[in-house]
Amino acid sequence: MTDSDALREAALIEGLRTGNNQCYQEAVRSYTPGMLAVARFYLDHSSAEEIVQDCWVTVIDAVQKFEGRSGLKTWLHRIVANRCKNRLRTAKREVATDFSETLEPELANRFNSTGRWDLPPKLQFHDSADTLMENGALSDCLDKHLSALPETQRSALMLYEAHQHKSDDVCNILDVSASNLRVLLHRARQKIFLMVETFQETGEC
Amino acid sequence: MLMCRDLAEIASDYIDGELNGRKNLSVKMHLMMCKDCRTFIGNLRASNNLLSAHSSGRADEEFLRRIDERVAEALNARKNNGSDSE
Repeated sequence: MTDSDALREAALIEGLRTGNNQCYQEAVRSYTPGMLAVARFYLDHSSAEEIVQDCWVTVIDAVQKFEGRSGLKTWLHRIVANRCKNRLRTAKREVATDFSETLEPELANRFNSTGRWDLPPKLQFHDSADTLMENGALSDCLDKHLSALPETQRSALMLYEAHQHKSDDVCNILDVSASNLRVLLHRARQKIFLMVETFQETGEC
Repeated sequence: MLMCRDLAEIASDYIDGELNGRKNLSVKMHLMMCKDCRTFIGNLRASNNLLSAHSSGRADEEFLRRIDERVAEALNARKNNGSDSE
């Protein structure tokens, strides 16, 4: 976090403490997507939305005691994770990923029996992510594939890649071991890689 | 010797700097000699960057407004309670 980010966050926290409605609206827009990603790791869509709404109401009191040892984002994500875990205490949690497999089958099939590429990547992706994202069709395709990922993989990927959490925080929030997090991330990234590859080669999603 | 498939298995760890010195070095050596794996790692990196650039799991505006409403209600209730007790 840069100094100006830290100052902005401190001002936002102060606004939340004094119950400033505008500060809440700003915070809700900045942090809700990440909070939803955390909740969706544990719960179905509608339960996840319900938990996130409840969390924002809890924040009004809880923020008075927030000491700022972790960043606001991490603190909010922990509140969501704890609420979800409480709710799940009676229900059974599903973990869809097979942690013993590090390669996606579709990628694994592209190597021959000696471990060399049979079907190597043909094209080099364009360098600039910004240029790629100007392509609306690619952006839509990415959305489609992200939503098709197993929840566990999507949450890990979103927290780590899009919300830039550190590994320790992601493990803590999602309650997975460091080695399982590595598998979740790698599996998810391969799927996105395969999608971008298909898109670049064929122009189709 | 590290094969292309082995490299693909640990590619994310390599990109994130999570490999130990020895393994990291063997990946680097392999990449020097293997154009296909260089392309693979480059493309995996590029698709990762794409994710960071992509707006992260957007929440729809209606849902956000519902949260605003609930927060505003709770803030009001709190304010009223506060003034009652004063």
